[in-house]
Amino acid sequence: MTLGLLLAISGGALAVILAGIGSAIGVGLAGQAASGVMSEDPGKFGGILLLVALPGTQGIYGFLSGFLVILKLGLISGQVIQPTVPQGWAIFIACMPVAWAGFISAIHQGKVCTAGVYMVAKQPKDSVKPLVMGALVETYAVLGLLATVLLLNGIKLP
Amino acid sequence: MSVAPVSKVHIFVHSGRKAELLSALQETGLVHLEEAKFEGVDLRRNAVDASDSDRTLARLKHALDVFADLDETSGLKRLLRPKPELSLKAKAEALGFGHDRVLDELERLESERNALTAGMKGSDREAGFLEPLRDIALPLEAFRGTRTAEVRLIVVPAAEAERLEEMAAESPVWFEVVSRDKRSCRVVAILPRESVEEAEAVLEELGAVPVDLDARVAAAGPGERIGDLLAANRLERGRKASAAEALEADIKAMAVHAPALMSVHDLLMNDREKALADRLLGETEAVSCIEGWVLGADKQRLEKKVSSISDAAQVCFREPLPDEEPPVFLENPPAARPFEIITNLYGLPEKGFLDPTLPLAPFFFIYVGLCVSEAGYGLLVALLSLLYMKFARPRRGAKQFAKLALYLGISNIIFGTLFGGWFGFPVRSLLLIDALKDPIPFLGLSLALGFAQVWFGTLLSMIGGLRNKAYAESIFVKGGWLVLLPSLLLYFVTKHPAAGVAAIVGASGVVFFAAPSRNPFSRFFGGLYSLYGISSYVADTLSYSRILALGLSTGVIAMVVNNLTQTAFLIPVAGWVLAPIIFVGGHLFNLGIGFLGGFVHSMRLQFVEFFTKFYKGGGRPFKPFRLENKYVEFVE
Repeated sequence: MTLGLLLAISGGALAVILAGIGSAIGVGLAGQAASGVMSEDPGKFGGILLLVALPGTQGIYGFLSGFLVILKLGLISGQVIQPTVPQGWAIFIACMPVAWAGFISAIHQGKVCTAGVYMVAKQPKDSVKPLVMGALVETYAVLGLLATVLLLNGIKLP
Repeated sequence: MSVAPVSKVHIFVHSGRKAELLSALQETGLVHLEEAKFEGVDLRRNAVDASDSDRTLARLKHALDVFADLDETSGLKRLLRPKPELSLKAKAEALGFGHDRVLDELERLESERNALTAGMKGSDREAGFLEPLRDIALPLEAFRGTRTAEVRLIVVPAAEAERLEEMAAESPVWFEVVSRDKRSCRVVAILPRESVEEAEAVLEELGAVPVDLDARVAAAGPGERIGDLLAANRLERGRKASAAEALEADIKAMAVHAPALMSVHDLLMNDREKALADRLLGETEAVSCIEGWVLGADKQRLEKKVSSISDAAQVCFREPLPDEEPPVFLENPPAARPFEIITNLYGLPEKGFLDPTLPLAPFFFIYVGLCVSEAGYGLLVALLSLLYMKFARPRRGAKQFAKLALYLGISNIIFGTLFGGWFGFPVRSLLLIDALKDPIPFLGLSLALGFAQVWFGTLLSMIGGLRNKAYAESIFVKGGWLVLLPSLLLYFVTKHPAAGVAAIVGASGVVFFAAPSRNPFSRFFGGLYSLYGISSYVADTLSYSRILALGLSTGVIAMVVNNLTQTAFLIPVAGWVLAPIIFVGGHLFNLGIGFLGGFVHSMRLQFVEFFTKFYKGGGRPFKPFRLENKYVEFVE
């Protein structure tokens, strides 16, 4: 295994790891609040579920980027491509936007969604409005994903 | 695409016919009621006590909840089951069903069953206490002791068992370990009465705790042992359990009354609403005054209905006064009505603003299709909503939501085929853009749509301004932006001088009219500063790039699911079980996440990027006083 391949794989892995950690924290925060609310009123499950699921998307973006790296390196098809060291660095760095934007935004989105869960507890009819608030935070994870996808797409491997 | 015109309505009726009129108003559902007031006239208010009907409704709801919990129909069947229909003509018959008798009976059965369940728990606790003592061969009466000795049951920490033996050898205590577990031993100890204190001191040192058997000893018959108590306890518990089961079956059998109770619930709920509506009325000696709003189109129907009730009723209409804020009712062609859900979520238009439903509909339709871009998922959602509409026959909100889901499904079938795939498999011959191979054209498409919508929003803002007679601002500033934005873009792309000139013309409109001030300097520089607003147009347009990211993510995850399924097939034997589970579960998960993201982000693009250009929410909804339903569907 060459250093270039190692770097590229590390980039993909970090995208999955960091965005995944962020999502786990975010969903964890919202999930705790949701369970608290449901202990009083189990009927609110439907309205709250989406709010808890929303910070989970960053993890998926990270995973998706990791998967794109795997595809790019041919790790699934078995025809493993050996990138040069600069190419490996390029892939590593291309993975950073989704990794870090996902990591931080998922945590903050978790906080927004937690507040949203409390809002739905008091205003059950308004369960969609806090979703939109959550989506405002997610924008930056989406932009991170976009940057990563475009960067990865721009790196041409032999 | 508009906010329907509404008129203020006053209805005066002789107090004797009031109840009849209110019923008629509720059945026709045309009037949005408000508190009646007249300047200079002192109207009396009716005090309404709804606590009795609240209580009955709560009892009915509880009973229906109990029956719903016992209902064993599957979730999908329940979703597709239509509400039972109830004719208003059968109202008296439905109310005469005798719900009180059924509720009383159900509550009696429930409270008996609850008492039995509590009794069973008590029996279990007692059994838990007795079980470790089962092997004591002494009859219970032995614990009364003899003239010379006391017999006690004690618990000693397991670690002290050996020391107990040592100490027993030295002090006047006889003992036998009855049972032991990891933490403690239960011990029967015999202490001579003459040296009880000494023995107690020894036991205390060991950390022994006495077990209180007094009540059981007192109640015990001659020769009865703990084993006998345990057997009796189990027998008793079994008896209670079968009695509880029988009661449960009785409760289940009462579920045949559920449909009748549903009718009663909805009828009483509406009666309660009618009683509460009485609070809004104003009364004089002999006349009741009803005040409210009615849609312009419904005036004649209302007049006809009221005159059919009584000659002693008078209806008067008038247009809303300038300082009045009438409730808002959106009027759209039936095809666009489902998109009113999106408008409603943001808030209805404030007085003087356009209804944004029709303008947002095509964009929303396209965005969800592009954000999910999965034709297979679209087909599933469309089919499910069609089934729901066919079998459950929903009305009002639920029907509109099902229609919206159908639209979004269709949108995905179209855009999924053109830009994505069917369950992760792209149909190459129909693919317009393969975003995975080359995402740039898709990005261009997203930004172009964004630019179009932002421009359209500005156009709507200009139209709104013209309607509100803000001519200079609308024509020069909004019009300036409308010319500037596309011509600037065109200039950057083609470098054609005509585009440059058009851009300068547009910009000058903004510069000279955006800051209307008498001082020419502050007018010019203020206007120049307004040009900085172009950054927000750029930011808004760039925000639409999310369409690409979201569209890609659903497609890639669908591919991953297919990849995993293929890999799972390679596992011998188990693969054939595992692979379909991965395929179905994975795609369902992706469908859920994809639609959640697609829906929420498409909505955000409307609310944050589009609405901010021309729209203000804050109107209150037109809520006619009408028959509401929860369990049944009212029919004529």
